[in-house]
Amino acid sequence: MKLLRNLLKSPMFVIGAVLFFGTILFAIFAPFFIDLKTAMDRVGGQYLEPSGSFWLGTDDLGRDYVKLLLQGLRSSLYVGFLAGVLATTVGTLVGIYGGFKGGIIDDILNMFTNLFIVIPSFVVLILVSASLEQGRSLTIIALLIGATTWPWTARSVRAQASSLKSRDHISLARINGANTLQIIYKHILPYLASYVFMVFIMQVASGILSESAISMIGLGPMDNVSLGVILNQAKNAGALGDGIWWGIFPASIIITVIVFALFLINNSMEGVFNPRLRK
Amino acid sequence: MLKQYPTLRYILQRGVWYFLTFLVAIAINFILPRLGDRNPVDIMMAKASQGLSDEAVKEKRESFEKEFGLIEVTAEGKIIHDANGKTVKVSGFNQFLNYLKMTLSGDLGKSIQKYPKNVSDIIIEAVPWTLALQFPSILLGWIFGNVLGALAAYRRGVFDRVIFPMALFMSSVPFFVFGMVLVYWFAVVLGWFPAMEAYSGALNPSLSLEFIGSMGYHYVLPFFSIFLILAGGQAIGMRSMGIYELGTDYIKYAKWLGLKETKILSYLFRNAMLPQLTGLALSIGSMVGGALITEMIFSYPGLGMAMLTAIGSNDYTVIQGCTLLVTTSVLVANFSVDIMIGFLDPRVKAGMQMGGK
Amino acid sequence: MRGMNKFGISLAITGLVLLAGCKDDKQAQTQGQDDSAAGGFPRGKSLYLAGSQWGDPSTFNPLAESWQAAWPVSDRFNLMYEPLINYNSQTGKFEPLLGTLVLSDADSIVVDINPTAKWSDGKPVVSTDVKFIFELGRRFKGAATGFAIEFISGINVDTVEANGAKVERLSFLVDKKGRNNPLVILDLLQAIRIVPSHVFEALLTANKNDLAEVQKLKIDSVPVVSGPYQLDSYSNEKIVIKRRADYWGNASLHQGKLPVPLFVIHPIYKSNDHFAIALQKGDIDASQTFIPRIWLKKKDKVQTWMDQAPYFVSGAMPILLINTTKAPLNSKLFRRAMAAAISYSSIKELAVSGYSPDIQPGLIMASSPLESKYFVAEDAKARGVLFNLDSAKALVAAAGVKSVFKADGTLDYMTDKAGKKLPTLTIKAPAGWSDWEATVTIAVKGLREAGIDVREGFVDAGLYWPALPAGDFDLIMHKPASAVTPSLPWSRFDAVMSSRNWKPIGGGSSMNENQGRYNSPKSKEYNSKVDSLLKVIPITADEVALKAAYAELNRIFMDDQPAIPLCYLPEQFYEFSVAHWTNWPSEKNPYGPAQLPMVSAGTNSLWQLQPVQ
Repeated sequence: MKLLRNLLKSPMFVIGAVLFFGTILFAIFAPFFIDLKTAMDRVGGQYLEPSGSFWLGTDDLGRDYVKLLLQGLRSSLYVGFLAGVLATTVGTLVGIYGGFKGGIIDDILNMFTNLFIVIPSFVVLILVSASLEQGRSLTIIALLIGATTWPWTARSVRAQASSLKSRDHISLARINGANTLQIIYKHILPYLASYVFMVFIMQVASGILSESAISMIGLGPMDNVSLGVILNQAKNAGALGDGIWWGIFPASIIITVIVFALFLINNSMEGVFNPRLRK
Repeated sequence: MLKQYPTLRYILQRGVWYFLTFLVAIAINFILPRLGDRNPVDIMMAKASQGLSDEAVKEKRESFEKEFGLIEVTAEGKIIHDANGKTVKVSGFNQFLNYLKMTLSGDLGKSIQKYPKNVSDIIIEAVPWTLALQFPSILLGWIFGNVLGALAAYRRGVFDRVIFPMALFMSSVPFFVFGMVLVYWFAVVLGWFPAMEAYSGALNPSLSLEFIGSMGYHYVLPFFSIFLILAGGQAIGMRSMGIYELGTDYIKYAKWLGLKETKILSYLFRNAMLPQLTGLALSIGSMVGGALITEMIFSYPGLGMAMLTAIGSNDYTVIQGCTLLVTTSVLVANFSVDIMIGFLDPRVKAGMQMGGK
Repeated sequence: MRGMNKFGISLAITGLVLLAGCKDDKQAQTQGQDDSAAGGFPRGKSLYLAGSQWGDPSTFNPLAESWQAAWPVSDRFNLMYEPLINYNSQTGKFEPLLGTLVLSDADSIVVDINPTAKWSDGKPVVSTDVKFIFELGRRFKGAATGFAIEFISGINVDTVEANGAKVERLSFLVDKKGRNNPLVILDLLQAIRIVPSHVFEALLTANKNDLAEVQKLKIDSVPVVSGPYQLDSYSNEKIVIKRRADYWGNASLHQGKLPVPLFVIHPIYKSNDHFAIALQKGDIDASQTFIPRIWLKKKDKVQTWMDQAPYFVSGAMPILLINTTKAPLNSKLFRRAMAAAISYSSIKELAVSGYSPDIQPGLIMASSPLESKYFVAEDAKARGVLFNLDSAKALVAAAGVKSVFKADGTLDYMTDKAGKKLPTLTIKAPAGWSDWEATVTIAVKGLREAGIDVREGFVDAGLYWPALPAGDFDLIMHKPASAVTPSLPWSRFDAVMSSRNWKPIGGGSSMNENQGRYNSPKSKEYNSKVDSLLKVIPITADEVALKAAYAELNRIFMDDQPAIPLCYLPEQFYEFSVAHWTNWPSEKNPYGPAQLPMVSAGTNSLWQLQPVQ
């Protein structure tokens, strides 16, 4: 609680949190007011300018950009969260296990972690995406992203866990006969929780960024719109050359704002945990 | 044994590790594209079989399968047929061994779409452009970002309050989004800079002033689209490091001693540099990835563009070649930074272990 | 700080070395090919044409398969190598080039070789050259022009006297026992470019008579050509060809004039949106790519054949090809239901930017001046299906298929007569082809509203192409007979309906026409009329009989609906910029066809363009 109070004192955190949770609430509740079932329906001509009836204009198929962007926002958040949860879960497990256990298992896990950090994850993404035939779905892309980004979490968590390992209260618990699982659950996880959360935030951000990048080069989901798919379509349909800013800017701004908000949250948390950064 | 040469030992250790990683990368590169059941020969045949008789089609297919190492041939290069006149498939493991042998000897096979062009030729033509774009922009972005970050950490105050959120914002903009914004604004709306390509279509590459001028003019937008975003991310990291270092005892001591500000700043910079360098090594992969997409936005004739074209036409020998090259160069970049760390980091000099195994 | 400085300097030096190294590399790579362009290509003398070459140029060998060769050796381009005759897609007439069409009937097609035609090495173009390329298939199975021997049983050479000169007269004999199809021979005569046999025979001899080895040569260093331009230089960014001052045709076909542009340059763009930007900025002068919303570009001096919609002259017909062997698609009522469920006006307006006229039922392009004479409006009215969701639903029911809708009114699934659930159908189309993707999206929307359970199936182009001949699809996007050639509309009917080569799906079988496996000769419902009409049309000269035959074929198509035509698009999107060159052929200035000056009779405009001062 003290942590939260400290965080709330940071204007950066407040701005970031308001932006991010605002976006999430919007993504969850807006469909009650904006009918998404008709998001793929044609409502007018090609690339109509923003107007009273279509606030953000229409796309090349005459679809309402407000609805498309909302749908895209939901998809992008879904990918970000799914990728983030997967990467954080795997990364935390690997990191804690390796950092706490040490020994040969740690060596092996650590080697894998470093290996996958060095091999660029977008390379793996491109290779797999290009070889998937049909059904390059949102979920598959999210899982792929998560599967390539977990080493970052594992690496940081491992460092933290191995520094916790030698602390007194853990030795005490061990003397008292607690088994490894109990120690991890009771004594390590709580210490790591806020830390893991920070890494999770970054994983969500990188999940959203990765999805938009992979969609941008034409390897995006085929079953749904995402913000990256919207941008890719606008680019392919020649929106840039015709000065159709409403095809490019709104989706770009949404991606940037979500990621910015997440970065703000992460950085302000870092400030709180690392008091020297605060002032 | 190399106890008395800790730096050398460290470098050798890292070298072995990177070589193993390289082998794993080759394996990944081999396996992933083969997950789907597509076959380069099917793709080629779809185009090449038009207007051919059935027999000619069969012959053509076999010659392609031979070319791509999918069927067994005799030592003289004759296709082996079994009792039923069918060809004999090469096992997946043998295919991998062949691939490994070819890759290690620098042979990346032939492009499917640009057959009979060698993948290595496609890559050699593209790489200079990518280097010319990425090397300076990443390097300068890194230096500029770090200087800015160190200044923000040291000055704090208004400077920090302006620089920090700006840097944070820049680092959250995807490369391609910023690229598109630059194209929209400076090429389409204002018309100040060309929207795409690496040089004017009216010129052939030469060492003339005109050509170099045209190259420079076309260089501006792609360069800034990478440079600014990269600098943003680096500034944030450096600022944190700098603030951390500022609180350490040696800086306090230096201040107490009354050393000159520039002197203190240089100490600060030097010590915060190491983690930043490691950070650069680790993130160079994702940077290169993002910057490759920039090439696609600007139709810059480098590796990213070659890869996009290959993805669009399903030319997976080229995709594989490009990804392998990117992975390899990321590994080399990492290794070089590791070597640099070996020389710069006093802990390595003192023979202490560090980094991953 | 000193350590840092050293570090910085060494990095900077490395960077410079790398940069310098890369420039040297680029230089070395192009030096061999390029000596004329040290000072660049003057804009007023260079014509930029785009859209025919997308990848790196790999070979300029005219014997290489057409998909390998680079512009302008690929396809039907006639700037370096020339065909015997040109086909004018505007007038429907043949124009002389290396030869002059003398006569064409059911037995033979007679062409006189132009006695003034010369190769760039000074040797005359002779009958041996023509026979070499047309009969290469008899010598080598792998010859790219091998299919010619399926149609031509032999080429007779006579010498005749014309205007006081001795002229070689070639008679291409129609292979009566084989395909018996003089129409396709006409197609071949305007498509197959003649190559210098004295050059290639020598190459074959040098390569132990192995065509595959000769096909691997790049032929990119001062090739021997007959056309008005010669290869100047090329890189992955562009291909440059330069005017030949001694082109034979200047004197005998163009009143002694030279083509106006000194250089013709084909920049290689990789992405569709770049053509639009380049055209708007005046970086290219003409392009043959799909550029949406062309009217927005008028202010930037970009023009088309027509000033207003549909802007282009139609020539190609994208269709939705149906796998007629799969239930419920094997029911013609169901196929007609699908045709009634697609909003053609939405496709026209949104997917193809209004570049299509209103389409008519059937496979005959009613709006094309070359085809409209075969179109029978009453038949289309009586038998064709138009967009109408109610009649689509009725036809679905008539086909014995029941659509099950969800509570919210959207389609859930379909069942057959026995009440069994039918699997969802998919429309295969290459991912990333934006106009086709949009077309499919619009079609799917209408089909689902009509209760037909169809989904988009965008696949990588690499999977799309093999799926088509294999019949590996429910429905697939296709553009049959996409070039405007003398054999239209017969070639379109043949591509969609012919059972000449019918093979069942599976087991690696492949069909290059009728990929939907319509009208199986083995089935009880086999309609032999289709194949006999397809056989008889090419050898019918009488216009009345021809019209009757086409009308009957079109009626069968409308009744059976083996495919669904979606819109009429131009053969090539002919867009040009008047920023640097004027006097392009257009509706108001129709001295040539609506084609870029590199194909067929479109090339003539090279002698008519005017540079903007």
